[in-house]
Amino acid sequence: MRRFAGLTLIALAFLAPAHPSIPAEEPKKADGPTVQVPYRLTDTKHVLVRVKINGQGPFHFIVDSGAPSLFVGTKTADKLGIVATKNGWAGFDRFEIEGGLVLEKVRGRVEDVFQLESMNKTGLAGAELHGIIGYNVLARFRLTFDLTKDKMAWQRLDFEPKVAETATGKNGVDAVGGLVKNLGNLKLERGLGLRGFLGVELAEKDGAVTVAGVWPASPAAEAKLQVGDRLTHVHAKAIKTAAEAHRLIAPWAAGDEIEMTILRDGKSRSVRATLGKGL
Amino acid sequence: MRPLALLLALSTAAALPSSAEELPVRTAPIEVLKSHHLAVRVKINGKGPYRMIFDTGAPITIISPEVARETGVVPRDAQPPPMALFNALGQFSMQRFEVGGQRADKIPAIVMDHPAVAVLSRGQGELHGIVGFSFFARYRMTLDYQAKQLSFTPNGYVPDDFLELMMAYMAAKKKPPPRLLDPAGMWGFAVSKADDDEEPGVIVDRVRPDTPAASAGLKVGDRLLTLDGAWTDSAADCHHAAGGVKPGIAAPLKIRRGGKEMTLMVTPRMGL
Repeated sequence: MRRFAGLTLIALAFLAPAHPSIPAEEPKKADGPTVQVPYRLTDTKHVLVRVKINGQGPFHFIVDSGAPSLFVGTKTADKLGIVATKNGWAGFDRFEIEGGLVLEKVRGRVEDVFQLESMNKTGLAGAELHGIIGYNVLARFRLTFDLTKDKMAWQRLDFEPKVAETATGKNGVDAVGGLVKNLGNLKLERGLGLRGFLGVELAEKDGAVTVAGVWPASPAAEAKLQVGDRLTHVHAKAIKTAAEAHRLIAPWAAGDEIEMTILRDGKSRSVRATLGKGL
Repeated sequence: MRPLALLLALSTAAALPSSAEELPVRTAPIEVLKSHHLAVRVKINGKGPYRMIFDTGAPITIISPEVARETGVVPRDAQPPPMALFNALGQFSMQRFEVGGQRADKIPAIVMDHPAVAVLSRGQGELHGIVGFSFFARYRMTLDYQAKQLSFTPNGYVPDDFLELMMAYMAAKKKPPPRLLDPAGMWGFAVSKADDDEEPGVIVDRVRPDTPAASAGLKVGDRLLTLDGAWTDSAADCHHAAGGVKPGIAAPLKIRRGGKEMTLMVTPRMGL
C-alpha cells in the first residue's frame, strides 16, 4: 500500500509539469463557475437534487460521496430508452442538475442499488428516488453543503476523474440487500400539498402583528379584514410575530378554513377565512 | 455626494471578507480510495486516529465495536447480544469526535460492524466506520475533490436523532398528514398545468392586480420555467421554490412568452 502511494507520488511529480494549469498546491487557479443547486433534505437525511436527463425528468438523485460512480435505476433508464452495456454502464448525453448545471456525455451504472430500492419500497425518504450521484460526477466539483440554506454550491474544477468501467462484483454488502428485501411494504409516504392563500400583508411593530394590506378579491378581503387590524391569535394560539402567524397558517391548504382573532377599535373579534389558491 | 458615499461603502464591503466568513474554518484531508470512496482520519475521545469512510449519503455515523471499546464509547467488556446482526451494540454518544482539525462534542454513533466497511477494508487498508450526516450537517462544509480536503464552519444546524425519527416512523400506524409547501412571501399569481402538458414549466393562470407579480410584468398565459433558479414543472415545484425566497428579496422568474424567454425580477411581500 505504501509503495503504491509512493509510486503514485512519483508519477504525479512527473505529470505535474505537463499540466501547468492544475498545480496541486494552487487548485484555485482552475476554479470554474459556481452554480447554486436547490436541494431537498429527505426524511432519511439524504441530500436530494433534481436532475433532467436528455430533457426528461425531473428525477431525484442523492448526492453521495460514498458512491463510487453515478447510478441510475433500471426503471429510469428504461423510461429514457437507455440500454446499458454488458458490464452495466451507459452514457447519458445531457445530464442537467437543477440550478442550471449541465454536464454532457456523463457515464454511469444502470443498476437498482439496494439502498434506493429499500427507500423506495418503504417510502422512508418521502420522495421517489431514481439514482445516486457519486464520485465520477461529484469529483468534478468543489461542493459546499449548508443545511441552514436551501441551495448548495457546486463549483466546477478543472479535474476529470477517471473511473474504470468494471462490473460490480458480488460481495458481503449483498447480504444487506437481502435483509432489505424482507422489510416488506411499509409505504407510509407523506403526500405533498400546497399551503393555501389568504391575501393579507402583515407588518410587525412593538411585539404586535398588524394587517398592512388586504388584497382585493382574496380570502382576507372576503373575511373583511382591514388595514390596521391587529392579529392576536390564529386558531386560538397567541401570536407576537409575523413568523408565528405564518407557522400557524402554514399547515392549511386551499379550501381549509382558518380562524383568527383580531383587535379592532379596542374590541376583540373572531374572523374566519377559507384559504384560496395561488401564492 | 450621498450616492458616492454609498458606492464607496458598498465597494468596501465587497473588497473585505464579510464577518460571516471570519468564523473559524477547520479542515480535514481526505483520501480517495482506489474504489473511489473517501476516507478521513478521526479521533474519538482523544484516541486514534482511526481511518473511516466519509459519506454524504449516510444519515448516521457508524463506528466498529472494537473502536467503541477502545475509545470508551462503550464499556471495555461490552459484547453484542447473541445473534446480533453485524455485532450491533446500539447507539451511543461520543463525548468528543474529531475529523481532522474539526472537533465536535456528543455525536451519536451507531456501534456495529458495517458489512460495506468490512468489504472496503479488505482491499484498501483498515477502515473502522462511516462518518455521515449526524456529523457534517453541523457545519457549512466544503468537499473539494481536487484539493483533497474538507473544510468546516459551524452553521448552528442541529441534526435530529435519526434513529428516534425512524423508530417513530416505523411505529406510526397511519399515514402522516401531507407536507404542505409553504411560500415564504406573497407573490400575487397562481399557476396550473394540464394533465397532457409534458413541456417544462407551468402556465400562469392568474395575476392579481397591484401585486409584486403584476408590477414585475408577469402576465396570464406566461409559461413559468424557473423561480429563483429552481425548475417549476408543477404547481408544487412553484410553491417549493417560493418557500426559499424571503419577503423583500428579489428573485428571478424565467418565463417564456410568445416563443421568447425572459427573466422578471419579483420581490415578494411579507404576509400569506
